[in-house]
Amino acid sequence: MIKLNVNGQAKEVDVDPATPILWVVRENLEMTGTKFGCGIAQCGACTVHLDGKPVRSCSTPVSQADGKAITTVEGLAEEDGTLSKVQQAWIDAQVPQCGYCQSGQIMSATALLKNNPQPTDEQINSAMAGNVCRCGMYGRIRSAIKIAAGMEQPAAETGPESTKVEA
Amino acid sequence: MRNLSAILAVLPALALAACSSDPAPEPVEQIIVREPGAPPVQQAAAEEPAVSGENDEAAPIAAGKSAFAICSGCHVVDADASSTAGPNLHASVGSPAGAREDFAYSEALKSSGITWTEAELDAYIADPAGKVPGTTMVAGAVQDAEQRKAIITYLTSLSAT
Amino acid sequence: MGKWSRRAFIGAGVVAGSALVVGVAVRPGNPNDELKPLLADAEGEELINAWVKVGADNVVTAIVPHVEMGQGALTALGQMLADEMDADWAGVQVVEAPAIDQYVSDSIGREFIAPNLQVPEFFEPTVAGGFLELAQAMSLQITGGSYSVRGTGQRAMRTAGAAAREMLIAAAASEWNVPEGEITTANSMVSHAKSGKSEPYAKFAAAAAEQSLPAKPKLKSPDKYTLMGKPIARTDIPAKVDGTADFGIDAKVPGMKYAAVKAAPVVGAQVESMDATAAKSMPGVLQILNMGDFVAVVADGYWQAQQALNTIGTKYSKTEGDKLDQAALFTRYDEYLDEAGADGGDTETEEGDAADAFANAATKVEAEYKVPFLAHATMEPMNCTAWVRDGKCDVWSGHQSPLGARKAAAKAAGLDFEDVTYHNAYLGGGFGRRSENDNIEMAVRIAKATQYPVKMIWSREEDTMQDHYRPSATSRFQGGLDKDGKAVAWSNIHTHLFDPQEAPTVPYYNIANHKIRKVDVPTHLRFGPWRSVDHSQHGFFIESFVDEMAVAAGKDGYAFRRELLKDSKRHLAILDKAAEMSGWGNTLPEGHGRGIAFVPSFGSVIAQVAEVDMTGAKPKVKKVYVAADAGFVVNPDGFTAQMESAIVYGLTATLYGEISLKDGAVQQSNFHDYQMLRINEMPEVVVEIINGDHKRLGGGGEPGLPPIAPAVTNAIFAATGKRVRELPLSKTSFA
Repeated sequence: MIKLNVNGQAKEVDVDPATPILWVVRENLEMTGTKFGCGIAQCGACTVHLDGKPVRSCSTPVSQADGKAITTVEGLAEEDGTLSKVQQAWIDAQVPQCGYCQSGQIMSATALLKNNPQPTDEQINSAMAGNVCRCGMYGRIRSAIKIAAGMEQPAAETGPESTKVEA
Repeated sequence: MRNLSAILAVLPALALAACSSDPAPEPVEQIIVREPGAPPVQQAAAEEPAVSGENDEAAPIAAGKSAFAICSGCHVVDADASSTAGPNLHASVGSPAGAREDFAYSEALKSSGITWTEAELDAYIADPAGKVPGTTMVAGAVQDAEQRKAIITYLTSLSAT
Repeated sequence: MGKWSRRAFIGAGVVAGSALVVGVAVRPGNPNDELKPLLADAEGEELINAWVKVGADNVVTAIVPHVEMGQGALTALGQMLADEMDADWAGVQVVEAPAIDQYVSDSIGREFIAPNLQVPEFFEPTVAGGFLELAQAMSLQITGGSYSVRGTGQRAMRTAGAAAREMLIAAAASEWNVPEGEITTANSMVSHAKSGKSEPYAKFAAAAAEQSLPAKPKLKSPDKYTLMGKPIARTDIPAKVDGTADFGIDAKVPGMKYAAVKAAPVVGAQVESMDATAAKSMPGVLQILNMGDFVAVVADGYWQAQQALNTIGTKYSKTEGDKLDQAALFTRYDEYLDEAGADGGDTETEEGDAADAFANAATKVEAEYKVPFLAHATMEPMNCTAWVRDGKCDVWSGHQSPLGARKAAAKAAGLDFEDVTYHNAYLGGGFGRRSENDNIEMAVRIAKATQYPVKMIWSREEDTMQDHYRPSATSRFQGGLDKDGKAVAWSNIHTHLFDPQEAPTVPYYNIANHKIRKVDVPTHLRFGPWRSVDHSQHGFFIESFVDEMAVAAGKDGYAFRRELLKDSKRHLAILDKAAEMSGWGNTLPEGHGRGIAFVPSFGSVIAQVAEVDMTGAKPKVKKVYVAADAGFVVNPDGFTAQMESAIVYGLTATLYGEISLKDGAVQQSNFHDYQMLRINEMPEVVVEIINGDHKRLGGGGEPGLPPIAPAVTNAIFAATGKRVRELPLSKTSFA
């Protein structure tokens, strides 16, 4: 049996220590917010935090979580359900399309802002380049990160700069 | 309905891929290892020690093979297999870094001047991006020293064969 | 007057799916009576008409026969219904219809089959009714082809909302004994100013349900829109930021086990032998199956299944396809094109005498273009969960055609349609991939063998190598210009034609003599619809060649196209807008170039201008300007997001996308060799919308894609004088 700390809760799972954290979280703990995209740390959909640091859980054996705190997307909101700044910014900027990559995007962005509360575009690129979004919402992701950082205001109406529309 | 008949003629041309063939046949071969909930089957040891004296090597290599499981997402080890997401590690121990023809190593690794001694491997696997900044090995760091040792033992055993 | 709070998500109700298309009387009598008993749910809920449910708490539920795969269809359709119904948006829920026969996208059927079918009004009900039957027969419940808003939304949702409103007014008028004309509706309330009466819709819902469906409900004109045209926040987004949105891969069934699969790498090959010796003793393994065309390992967990599968040695049968590699494929295209020569192939469209006009042209331009196979690479790999037992089958997945999936599952299980229940979830990317049934059939076959629930997940490798690809193609052009540099001849012959049929044609360009032909070339790979389908190839081919003709005419690409489009006000407006937005004609920094492309598709008209920086070793796309006319955009933010999305999807393909063959099998396997565009390469995208015709809507999901490749390659030419005729750009050295 392996003892884990997931989103502040103690869990025990009976798994081979070589099992990637991704599958322990999704299957043994039935927490499916963390997603499988590629299995070789190339897409970032599986990003979780180990002691606050972002890792690709598809390529990290659960043995490495020994004595560490695992945080998944399900653990970002407050007890009372209040969304984190990043999550709220993601809604303000209407970021997700299909949404499949967004747990990973949010986890990477959260870690970035924790270490760097006012990131430059280059720093955003560096921190987020490992997270693929097949729906192409990178512009909105960048915007949302800046909104969460207080560097940008959300659009007055819901969504980014209201698109110019001619009648 | 005259409109419909003309329209129906167009239907086969529609690329609606719902067309499947006859009900799928039964499996050609079905191996039932165990039923769900049944206890695991007794697993044979990965390497049977055939001759005394080789006992000392078999267990750590088996442990290393098990530790290598997470690496196998990107690395193959069969002598004649092509590299995949990462380079084939068959003859890696003792070789210079960036040696394989069939893998697009980063400039950083190619020009690192590293030869994969056990010590170099240990340092690299512990923190690839720290040891060789610019490496394309973005995952797979092994923080546990014992695990790294096991993996290296396993890799070394490959070169020996 | 109390507050109407939002109820929790209630799941799909069961409602008659009669097409509420203008004038339809498909089912005799009030369809609600038939299906009322099936609507178990709560007391106090009343059906009003086909697409609307009003609860006792005045919550209006819009039931939508389309899936949400990120394109915002559910929200947009809800807006259309709620606007016509004068419902309070805060009290509106949008729900995906269950996979039952009563819900079919017959609007799509109609658009697919006969988009411009004009029939006299008295035939309309019969034809529409015919389409409904047809749609049901084919189990058409499709989301795709950029049709949800312009088909179902425009034809059914708005009509349903307007009809509901009229029935509520009729019910209130009857109860209050006042003329209907004195009653107003707003925010889910019915009011009669004269008497000061005001009641929530819920009060009259039961009485309204007794009213017959109005034959022709009156739809609003744009000046009266309250929700349509607004960038309303998407209803599915909150669940997608907190991990609670369930995708196909997230299905949870008690007792569920997991399967990893590997199909024969060369399509058509069979498994000749399988060595599962090592796999049998791997941890967690339950079963190992040789299904003929694929091998599956079923285990307690997916990772265990995949680890065990990786140890299985398989031998496959030999096929003709084994000989095919990338070069051989394009050689085959050349052979077929050469053989067709000047007169062969199938003529798609012809006017005037293109050959003659070309022969006599003052300036002749010739070019050949090539594009590769492309994979869909949805973020969520293909998967499906199935449970077959006791003559019943349940299937869970994310699918673009839920009824079609249900049908395929029934066939694979050897059961009747009635014995199968299909549960749809969010799709982690559709793009056409999830309209296929291969994952459904495979999972059902495995589940049939195990008799317990199995979740089949494809590895990314399997997903990349077993796709239904966007076809590769070669296209050859001959264009003629007169002495004034005006286009007078256009000859094109290309390989393959899939869908839509009009993709290679250019009816919007005034070229008097044109002939467009195709040749079909057999290939063993599986093809499938890929975002914008044939427009993705032909957009590149056509807009590149138009640019080459412009260059030969000594004219600027924008000016040349302007001349070609001079008879189409709507088209010109978009072309002009894109040029204006991009500052066309202004000087760019050294080594930078601008390219323009114009592609009408799926009912929308799009022009794009790309700004590319060629000062480095590789092209960098800095900015893309998009001018778009989709008739009337229901949700401008959603539409803009679709433009951004299509541009990235298309740009990724333009820069890197290539699925190549070796010995008949696909060479690429994961994101390290099928490269993705990432945040550091994201261009700035600026979108402006012109609402050119609120009566005929265009699509949003796909039209943004076809122009991006040629806009970029035209920009590269402008910056460097180098003409790229083959994609992806990674094949060309710009050093």
